[in-house]
Amino acid sequence: MTGKIKEYILEVCCVFTLMSVIGAIVNIIAGTETNNINVIVMFATCAIATLVLFLHKLFDNVSPLVMIIVQYLVACALVGLMLWLISMFISPITPKGWFEFYRSFTIPYIFLAGFYYYRVFSETKKQDKLIQEIQENNKAESN
Amino acid sequence: MRLNLYEDKNTSDEHVDVYYTNMRPVIRQIIDTVNSERPSLQGRPADEDIDDGEEILLDPREIYYLDHIDRKLFAYTKNGVYRLMNTLAACEEMLWNYGFVRVSKSNLINIYKIKQLKPDLNMKVYASFDNGERICINRSYKKSFNEYLQRMRRMS
Repeated sequence: MTGKIKEYILEVCCVFTLMSVIGAIVNIIAGTETNNINVIVMFATCAIATLVLFLHKLFDNVSPLVMIIVQYLVACALVGLMLWLISMFISPITPKGWFEFYRSFTIPYIFLAGFYYYRVFSETKKQDKLIQEIQENNKAESN
Repeated sequence: MRLNLYEDKNTSDEHVDVYYTNMRPVIRQIIDTVNSERPSLQGRPADEDIDDGEEILLDPREIYYLDHIDRKLFAYTKNGVYRLMNTLAACEEMLWNYGFVRVSKSNLINIYKIKQLKPDLNMKVYASFDNGERICINRSYKKSFNEYLQRMRRMS
């Protein structure tokens, strides 16, 4: 368990560093600035995204499609909780703000899920070819 | 592979010489045969109606896959299902040269018997055999399955 927690924290740190650097580059190019709240929200988002991806190992026996849907729903719930806490204790969030936030993680999620779907199919096709090749070589050896 | 057989009634030293380019599964199988270490699995028909108490020797090449259910190990062949007394881990070690690879906690499949590898719409990947059955390739074994295929291709 401790090992898993360490692994999780390490992953969060890596993801957050990467996102911070990308955010800083985008800010330099666009000439915008960020504030402390945005940094904390970004960290919380990274922690949620990493946690959701960590759930992957718990769904070994269910289909990947079910796993993707469950992960998305868990992410929605955690993001909802995060936004609710922000609106309660830091600053109120408008309905448009909620919509924008959900949209900004749903679009990449769908894109990545599609990419995963494509990879499952293309990898299986490659493995199938490999098996045919091994079988043909084995037949040739046997004859 | 060319096979030369020489019959010599007077020889007292029967022997086999193998000339090979690289050590691959088929060569290992020949070595196992010569050393009388060729794995043969002993099993009894899983169907109690046809089980007469006698053990049957199963050739690994005839087995489609092994399935571990309720602490019992079963071998599925074209002609039927047999219960084996080995453990799945022992079979995995014994049969890796014969095309058997672990694809889930309870299944070892024979890659030489796979008819097709295909994903379902729900993204689960299944290995179909020519007896119409199919076995799911578990996600956590995907990497080792792929490595096994790569190794078998290099060796063949």
